[in-house]
Amino acid sequence: MIIEKFFNKWILFLLIIIPIFGLIFEEPYYITLTTKVIILAIAGIGLNLALGYCGLISFGHAAFFGTGGYVTGILSFHALNEELLFSWPIDIFGSSEMLIIWPVAILVCAFLSLIIGFLSLRTSGVYFIMITLAFAQMLYFFSISWPTYGGEDGLSIYVRNSFPMVNTMDPFTFYFICLVWLMITLFISFKLINSAFGMAFQAIKQNEERVKSVGIETYKVKLIVFVISGTMAGLAGSLYTDLNRFVSPSVLDWHTSGEIMIFVILGGMARLYGPIVGAAFFIILEQTLGTYTENWQFWLGLILILEILYARSGILGLFDKKKNNEK
Amino acid sequence: MKNKILNIKNLSKSYGAFKVTDQIAIDLNFNEIHALIGPNGAGKSTLIKQIVGSVKQDRGSILLDQEDITDLSDVERAKIGISRTFQVSSIIPSFSAIENIILSLLNKSNKTFQLFKNIKDNNELELKAKNILREIELIENSGMVASELSHGDRRKLEVGLALAMNPKVFLFDEPMAGLDESGTQMMINLFKKIKLNTPILLIEHDMEAVFALADRVSVINYGKIVATGTVDQIRSNELVKDVYLGYEI
Repeated sequence: MIIEKFFNKWILFLLIIIPIFGLIFEEPYYITLTTKVIILAIAGIGLNLALGYCGLISFGHAAFFGTGGYVTGILSFHALNEELLFSWPIDIFGSSEMLIIWPVAILVCAFLSLIIGFLSLRTSGVYFIMITLAFAQMLYFFSISWPTYGGEDGLSIYVRNSFPMVNTMDPFTFYFICLVWLMITLFISFKLINSAFGMAFQAIKQNEERVKSVGIETYKVKLIVFVISGTMAGLAGSLYTDLNRFVSPSVLDWHTSGEIMIFVILGGMARLYGPIVGAAFFIILEQTLGTYTENWQFWLGLILILEILYARSGILGLFDKKKNNEK
Repeated sequence: MKNKILNIKNLSKSYGAFKVTDQIAIDLNFNEIHALIGPNGAGKSTLIKQIVGSVKQDRGSILLDQEDITDLSDVERAKIGISRTFQVSSIIPSFSAIENIILSLLNKSNKTFQLFKNIKDNNELELKAKNILREIELIENSGMVASELSHGDRRKLEVGLALAMNPKVFLFDEPMAGLDESGTQMMINLFKKIKLNTPILLIEHDMEAVFALADRVSVINYGKIVATGTVDQIRSNELVKDVYLGYEI
C-alpha cells in the first residue's frame, strides 16, 4: 500500500514533468500526448466510479464521452459559422468559450446519463451491459446519419475553443487546463469514495441484498453514481474534441467504451489512480508498439489476458501484494 | 389486536404446483420472542423472505404496527422497521466489522446521501457502532476485515447489523447456527435483553435455545402452520413430535 501511494505520487510527478520537458526542449508532441493521457484518464476515473467501485459494468460510456465531444463540436461549429443553434422559442447561439461549453456539456451529459441510468439500472448483469451498449450504439448510428454535423466524416472546429486571458492554442496552456480538470475529478472521486455515500456504493458492489436489507435505496445510490460517472466521461469528451479540434462518430462507438474500460482494468479497478496508469500505459503501448506494427492491439490483448489471469488488481495492484491475487 | 406489532394473514406462495407457504397466519406481540420451528424445507426462510419483501407473496397480507406493508418494496420495509439476519452470513466482506455496523447505521441517521464528508470523521456513528460491537462481544475485532472473521463472529456481526437499524421487529434466521456454547449463551442473553424493547421472530434449529427463549412457538411443515402455543404446549403436542421433534423432549 505504501509502495502504491509512492507510485501514485510518481505518476502525478511524471504527468507534470513530461510536458515541462516538452516545453523546454520544444517537443510539443510530448505535451499533446500527455494531454491525451490526462483526458482519457478523466473518462477512466468516471467509469472507475461506476465499474470499479460500484460494480456497474457499463459498456456504454462512449455515449457520454461522445455526447460531451459533440456538444463541444456543435456549439463551436455554430459559433464559428455565426449560425443560430436554435431559433425557437428564443434565439440561441453557439459558443467558442470553454466557460460556456463546459457547463453545457456537463449538464447535457448529466441529463443523458440520468435517462440512460434510470432505464438501464432496472436491469443487472449481462442485461445491464447490453442495454448500456445499445444506448451508445443508438447514438453512434444517429451521429452517422446526421449530415448537418458531418455525418460519418465528423466535424472539424479548426480553432480550439477559448478560455479567458490565455491562449488555448498553445499546447502547454491547454495541457494545464486539462491537468486542473484531472485534479478536480480526482478530488471529487477521492471525496466520494471516502464518504458515507461511497461506503454505500462500495458495499453494493459486494452484496447488494445486504445493503437493501439495512434500508439503503440501492437503485437511487447506483443512479447517482452512474450520473456522476457519465458526467465525468462527458467532460473528458468535451476536452477531447478541443484537443483534436475535431469530433467524429468514432467517439460514440463501442470501441471507445471498450477502451475506457481497458484503462480502468489495466490500471486497477477501484483504485483512485488506476485509470491514469491505465490510460498512460495504453498510450505508451500505442506509441511504442504502434511504430513496429499496425496490429499493436494484439499485444494489448495478450497483456490483458495475462493481467486477468495473474494480476486482477491491475498494474497498481502489483504494488499492493495483499490485493494482487484478488479474485 | 393492539398488542400485535406484526400480523401476517393467509400468506401464500407457490412455485408452480409446489406450495412453499400455504395460508400462513402468524403474529408477533410486543415484548415477545416468537419462535418458528420446522424441518428443513418447511418454508421458514421463504416466510422470512416474504415478510421482508424480497419474495412477493401470491396471496395474503402483512401488517406492521397496524399498517399494511404488503405492497411495499424490501427497502421500504427495512426503512420502516423490519430488520433481519440471513440464514447464511451476509456481510460486506471487504469492510471491517465496525464499517459493516456503520453501513447499517447510515439509513437511520440520514447519512446515506452525504456525498463529500469523510465517513471516518463521523465520531457519532463510530461511537454508536462501538456500542453495538460491545453488545455483541465483537469490540476486540472491530477493525478486522469481515471476511477474515471466524464463523461465529460473522453470526454475531449479522445480529449487530440488525441491531444497528433500531427496528420495530427483528427477524432472526438461525442466528445461532454454528456458534459454540459461549456464543449461543451470549446470543440467548442478548435476545432476552432485546425483546424488552423490540420483539423477535426467531427461526432456530437449536431447540434448547428456542425453549430457553421463546414466549410462543409456531411449528411449520410443508408450508403450513401446524401448531402454535407456549413452549410447554408445543413440547407436549403429539403432532409436533411427529412432524418435527420426532422424539420426547
